[in-house]
Amino acid sequence: MSATLLQPAFADPVLDAQRSFRVALKALAGPGVTHCLQPAHQPPALPGLAAATHALCLALLDLDTPLWLAPAFDTPAIRANLAFHCGCPIVSERQNARFALLDDSQLSDLSGFDLGNDRYPDQSCTLLIQLPSLSGGRALSWRGPGIQSENRVALPLHEHFWQQRGLHNDFPRGLDAFFLAGSELLGLPRSTRVEEGV
Amino acid sequence: MSPEQPTPIAARQRWIGVLSRALGDELQRHESALRDAEYQLIRAPEIGMTLVRGRMGGNGAPFNLGEMSVTRCVVRLADGRTGYSYLAGRDKARAELAALADAHLQGPQYQHWLNELIEPLALAQAARRARQDAETAATKVEFFTLVRGED
Repeated sequence: MSATLLQPAFADPVLDAQRSFRVALKALAGPGVTHCLQPAHQPPALPGLAAATHALCLALLDLDTPLWLAPAFDTPAIRANLAFHCGCPIVSERQNARFALLDDSQLSDLSGFDLGNDRYPDQSCTLLIQLPSLSGGRALSWRGPGIQSENRVALPLHEHFWQQRGLHNDFPRGLDAFFLAGSELLGLPRSTRVEEGV
Repeated sequence: MSPEQPTPIAARQRWIGVLSRALGDELQRHESALRDAEYQLIRAPEIGMTLVRGRMGGNGAPFNLGEMSVTRCVVRLADGRTGYSYLAGRDKARAELAALADAHLQGPQYQHWLNELIEPLALAQAARRARQDAETAATKVEFFTLVRGED
């Protein structure tokens, strides 16, 4: 029975979800800057999900946001808890998802996610990408809206991800992503230009 | 009843209904017994709104009657039994006690809780209902026409 898998969520459901949402907003408004969730406002651990990932799921998902789960996250515990606390439908077709929960094994193929349309680019799928850490990769230069000159970000990502991102970015259509590790998060909206560092 | 056996749905519907109609102090009396177990709040008592819909005459098209406040709560006992409650109103303590009672009623002590808690509550509710019906019946007016007045 799935009831035995249920875990408590935010201690203060309203305020903690608002705090997490606020951090997510800041992360997308200022791409490439690492933000940290306060330990006091994090949800309790859920096996398989980092604290930041769990917090963002609780803040962003509800009945109107179908979610696509990467196989690594498709566990009975995660399914039961997201269904209980968020009520979000879990879909098997990428095309139908408004949010997708990915791990680093999924990043060489971003095909199939909804990029929005020219009239409603905001209806695209938002990627929540959980990584082991937010640093340690090759430093790249991020430029664009929300960045004064450039941010140097060293996400531990394979070259394939950047190719895939370019392939599925047809501004204003495109994919926005959050990178999550531990209690840290970092935003990468579709408008950010990522280049080799000079 | 063993805890592995799924609780018959009709029985659970009945006791959840009885718990939801219990007045605050009726559950309060059993507070120490209900809380006498290790438990965890999966969903702490929270107050929200729900839309009440009705059908004219019970079979017409549905219409929105209005909104009412509800309080809901989910607890889990140490052995994994999960108790749910949805109550009308804004009483968080009562929602927590009702959820605890639901969890206890799904366990091996089922009969004990049924006799101690649910049956007295159901009796009290039936008495209240009968008194209300009697008061209402006393005000009943029969309408009939003496003269039609047309011809």
